Amino acid sequence: MFRNYLAAALRNLARNKLYAGVTIMGLAIGFAAAMLIGLYVRDELTFDRFLPDHERIYLMTSTVEMPGAKPIETKLSQIKLAERLPLDFPEIELAGRLTGAYFPPTVRRGETVAAEQSLYYADENFFRILRFPVLAGDLEHALDTPDSVVLTLGAARKYFGREDPIGQVLLIDREPFRVTAVLKTLPSNTHITAEIFASAKSPQSPISRFGEINGPVDTTLSTYVRLKPGASPEAMHERMAAFLDRRFPLDALNRGARTKRDTQFLALTQIHLSPSNQEIFNSKSAVDPAILAAIAAVGVLIVVVAAINFVTLMTARAARRAVEVGVRKAAGASRRDLVVQFMGEALLYVAASGILALSLAELLMPAFNAFLQRKMTFDYLHDPGLGLSVLGGMVGIALLAGAYPALVLSGFRPAAVLKGGPVATVGGGGVRQALVVAQFAVLIVLTLVAITIARQTLYALNEGMRLDKDQTLFVFSQPCSATLRDELRRLPGVRAAGCSSAEAMNLSTSHDDASVEGRRASISRAPIDFGFFEVFGVKPVAGRLFDERRPADAAMDNPDSYQPVILNETAARRLGFKSPEAAIGKTILWHGFWDETLRRPGPVAWPAKPSEIIGVVPDFTLGSVRQPIEPFLYGIGRLAPPSSVSLAVKLDGARVPETLAAMDRIWQRVGQGRPMMRYFVDQFTMRLYVDTLIQGATVAIAGLIALVVAALGLFALSAYTTERRTKEIGVRKAMGASAGDILKLLLWQFAKPVLWANLIAWPVAWLVLEWWLSSFAYHVEIAPWTFAAAGLGALAIAIVTVLVHVLGVARSNPVAALRYE
Amino acid sequence: MLTLTDISKVYRTTEVETLALSDVSLAIAPGEFVAIMGPSGCGKSTLMNVLGLLDSPTGGSYRFFGEEAAGLPEARLTQLRRDNIGFVFQSFNLIDDLTVAENVEVALLYRGASATERRRRVGEALERVGIAHRARHRPQQLSGGQQQRVAVARALVSEPRLILADEPTGNLDTANGDEVMRLLTDAAAAGVTVVMVTHSLVHAAIAQRTIKLLDGRVVSETLLAA
Repeated sequence: MFRNYLAAALRNLARNKLYAGVTIMGLAIGFAAAMLIGLYVRDELTFDRFLPDHERIYLMTSTVEMPGAKPIETKLSQIKLAERLPLDFPEIELAGRLTGAYFPPTVRRGETVAAEQSLYYADENFFRILRFPVLAGDLEHALDTPDSVVLTLGAARKYFGREDPIGQVLLIDREPFRVTAVLKTLPSNTHITAEIFASAKSPQSPISRFGEINGPVDTTLSTYVRLKPGASPEAMHERMAAFLDRRFPLDALNRGARTKRDTQFLALTQIHLSPSNQEIFNSKSAVDPAILAAIAAVGVLIVVVAAINFVTLMTARAARRAVEVGVRKAAGASRRDLVVQFMGEALLYVAASGILALSLAELLMPAFNAFLQRKMTFDYLHDPGLGLSVLGGMVGIALLAGAYPALVLSGFRPAAVLKGGPVATVGGGGVRQALVVAQFAVLIVLTLVAITIARQTLYALNEGMRLDKDQTLFVFSQPCSATLRDELRRLPGVRAAGCSSAEAMNLSTSHDDASVEGRRASISRAPIDFGFFEVFGVKPVAGRLFDERRPADAAMDNPDSYQPVILNETAARRLGFKSPEAAIGKTILWHGFWDETLRRPGPVAWPAKPSEIIGVVPDFTLGSVRQPIEPFLYGIGRLAPPSSVSLAVKLDGARVPETLAAMDRIWQRVGQGRPMMRYFVDQFTMRLYVDTLIQGATVAIAGLIALVVAALGLFALSAYTTERRTKEIGVRKAMGASAGDILKLLLWQFAKPVLWANLIAWPVAWLVLEWWLSSFAYHVEIAPWTFAAAGLGALAIAIVTVLVHVLGVARSNPVAALRYE
Repeated sequence: MLTLTDISKVYRTTEVETLALSDVSLAIAPGEFVAIMGPSGCGKSTLMNVLGLLDSPTGGSYRFFGEEAAGLPEARLTQLRRDNIGFVFQSFNLIDDLTVAENVEVALLYRGASATERRRRVGEALERVGIAHRARHRPQQLSGGQQQRVAVARALVSEPRLILADEPTGNLDTANGDEVMRLLTDAAAAGVTVVMVTHSLVHAAIAQRTIKLLDGRVVSETLLAA
C-alpha cells in the first residue's frame, strides 16, 4: 500500500514541478533560517555551561543606591570582596577576581606589538574556579606568580606563531611576563572575551594599584565564587547586609546609612542573560531574554510563512487530486486511509525540504558565524539533541501543515467528483485567503520593525548623541599629554583638540553627592580638558565654557575650594535651579576629582569644598541612548591616570588622509612606543549598539526571507488561480471585457488579502515597536509614514509577483479559453 | 439481491431544493444485468450513486444483499463498497500518476491483501481484459478503449458481487464500446450483478432488463425477450 502511495506522491511531484519546487524551496528557506536562528538562540541560552561545576559558580553583583539617585545595578564588585567573603561565608569554596586594564596595555614580542583590549588581570583563584579547557601548562597554578600570564591559543599564535610559548617571555607595558599556560580557543558561548590573562599580583594590575584605596561602594572588577556542594545562595544572601556593614563599612563620604547597597549571587549561566545598567567590560553584552524570545519568535514566524505556502498550494491544487480521491474512496478507502496517504506526502515534501535546508544552513554557517562573531556548528554526531530537535521540528511541521490539506483532500465526496469534467475548487478558499493574509501580515510587521530598528540605530548614532561628531575622532592615550594635545592642535587639518576622561566619554562613572544651598543631588563627575566642549561643538546655554586664558579655571590646588565647574542641564535641574541661567555664579559643594597623583594609602574621605558654577551646557552623551543622560559636573582635571584616557580631535574635513598620517607621525614620536589607537566617534559609539545592529539585521533578513517565501507562494497561487479562471475570463472577454478590465479584476483578487494584512499588521507592529523602543531612554517616534510605506511596499510586491500570470491571461484569446474545458 | 423501496433523494442548497429521485422502487436479482436509461437530468447518476453506496437516500429503504444500507454510518458503507462493488465510469477516472497495474491494484489496497496476492490478482485481471502488455504504461499513454479496459479490470479485480457502470461506452468508438460490453457481459455471465447506465439502445439491448427513468421516477421496465 505504501509503495502505491509513494509512487503516486513522487510522480505527482514530478508532474507539477513548479508548485513542488515553490513549496519545497519555500519550506527549505524557512527551515534553514529557523535552524540558524534556533542555533543562535540556543547558543545564547547555554553560555558557560561547558565549564565544570558551572552550577556552583556565581558572579557577585552589586546594587548601590545613593541618596537622591536611581539604584545602580552592576556586575562589578569591590576589589577586596573576594578576600573578605570567605571570612564570613564558609560555604564559599573559592573566590577569584578578573579585571580589565583601565587602558589597553601594549603587548610586545619581537616585532609583534599591539594595544591589547583583550588583556585582563586575573588572580590565582580565577582559573581554579573557571576551569577552561587547557592545551598546555598547569592551569591550577598558572597565575601564582606576579609575572605569569596565560594565553588563549589565538593569542599564543599571534605572538609566538607555531613555537611553544610555555616559559617564554611576553612584554606587557614593557614589563616581562612568563607564559605559564595556553588555553584552548574559548568557545563563542562564554561571557569571557579575554585572550590574555596576566597575573593580578603584577604591580601594574588595577588590583595592585588601587586595592588599598578602593572604597566600600567602589565597584570595579568581577568577583567569582564557587560554592561548596549543597550551599544555598539564597540563605547566604540573607547574611549579606550584615557582612557588608562589617567588612565594608560606609563612612561620611558614602553618606553612611543613607546609602543603600546590596551584593547578590548571579549564577554563572545567567550572566549572559542578565542585562544590567553597567555591563562588565570583560564580557560580551548580555542579552535581554525578552529580545531573545522575540528573535526566536521571528524564526518561528518564518517557518509559519513557509508552512502557509505549503497549505495554500496543496489545498489550491486539491481539485487535481479529486478523481484519485474519488476512485480510492469508491474502491473502499476510508477517510483515515486517505489522511494517512496525504500526510505521508506532506512528510515527503518536508523531508525533501529538510535535506535542502540542512545543506543551505551549512553553506550559510560561515557567514552567519562571522556576522554574529560566534563559532556555532551543526554537530549532529556529538549533539544528538540538536539532530533530534531538528528532526522533531520538521516532523511536527509536516504533521501540522499537512493536516489541513489532508483533511480537505480526504473530504471529497466521491459522488461529486467521479462523474467527470472539471471539478470545482473544494476545501477552504476562505482559509487560503486567510493564510495569504497571515503571510503578508507577518511580512509587513517584520518590515516595519526592521525600518524602525534602522531609524533608531541611526538616531542613536547621530541626533541621539546631541553633539557634533562629524570628522571627530578619539586618540587613545593614557594619560593624554599636553605635548600630544598641543602638537595635534598645531596640525593644519585639526580644528580643535582636547583631552578627555573615561567619565566624559561615558566609559566609566564616578558619582558624587553634591549640594547647592542645601539641595542635594547625586551627580556624575567628569574631568575634562580645555577645548573638550569645542571639539564637539557644545555651546553653553548659560554662562561660559572653560577658557585657557583664565588660569583660575584650572585651579585645583586651592585648599579652600575646587576648580570652577560646568553643569549639564539635567544636573542644574536636579540641583533645584529653575533655569540654567539661575545656576551661573552659584556655589556647589562637592568632593573633587581623584587621580593617581593624589594617591594615598587606604580609603580617603575627600572633603567637600565649594566650586563656582560658571556655565551650563546642553545634555549630550557619548554613551548609549538606552540610558538616560546623567546629571554631569565637568571640571578641568589633571592629565593623569586613571581617568585621562584619550584626546578628542576635530578635523576640518578637508585633508583627512594627510592629517591622519601626520597624527600617526606625531604619535610615533610621543607615543612611547605604544601602538596608535584612534577611532572616529562613529566607530567608537557603534560598539554600544552591536546588539541592536544584530537585531536589526536579523529582522531585516527575516523580512527578506518572508518576502521571498510569500512571493514564491503567491506566484504559484496566481498561476493556479488564473488557470482555474481561464474559462470565466474567456466568457467575460466574449461578453466585451477588455484586457484592462480583466487585469483589474484579477489584480484586485490578489490585492485584497494584502490590504487586509495591513489592518492586522499595523496594530501588532505598533505594540511591538512601542515595547522595543521603550527599552531606550531616548528614541525616535513611531512614524506613520513607515506604516504607509510597508503597506504599499507589500502591495507592490504582491502585484509585481502576480503580474506575469495575470497579464498573460488578460491578453489571451477568448476562443482558446472557451475551448479550455 | 438489491431492493430499493420508495427511494427518494433531495439535494438542498440555501436557495434551491432539487428532487433527484422520487419514490423509486426496484429489485435487482443477483447476477442480473440491468440497464438504466433516461434523458439528461432524469436521476440516472443519482440512482447509481445510491446503488453504489456513494450517496445516501433522503428517504426510503435500500437493502443491499440483505442489509439495510440507508442510514448506515460511513465506515460501514465504505466496508460494503470495498467488499462488494466495482465501478466503471464514463470518463475512466484512472489516476494519472499511477501505472496501469498500480491503477488496478488500488481496488485491492484497502482489503488487506498481501503484496504477492495483489500482484497475482492484478495480473489475472489485466490478462482477462487483454491489457497485460501495457501494465507499466501510464493512462496518458493509452487509447480511450484501452483506458476503459483498465477501468473494467479495476472493477473486476476485487471479485465484486456488483458492478456499477455509468455510461461505460460513452466516450468510446463502436469497436471499443463493443469490447467493453463483452467484458461486462462475461462478468454477468460469471454471476456478477451488473447495473449499467447507458444512452445506447444497442448496448441496453444486451442487458436482461432495461429500466427507464424520467424526472427522478421509474417510468418503465422492459425485459429482454429470452
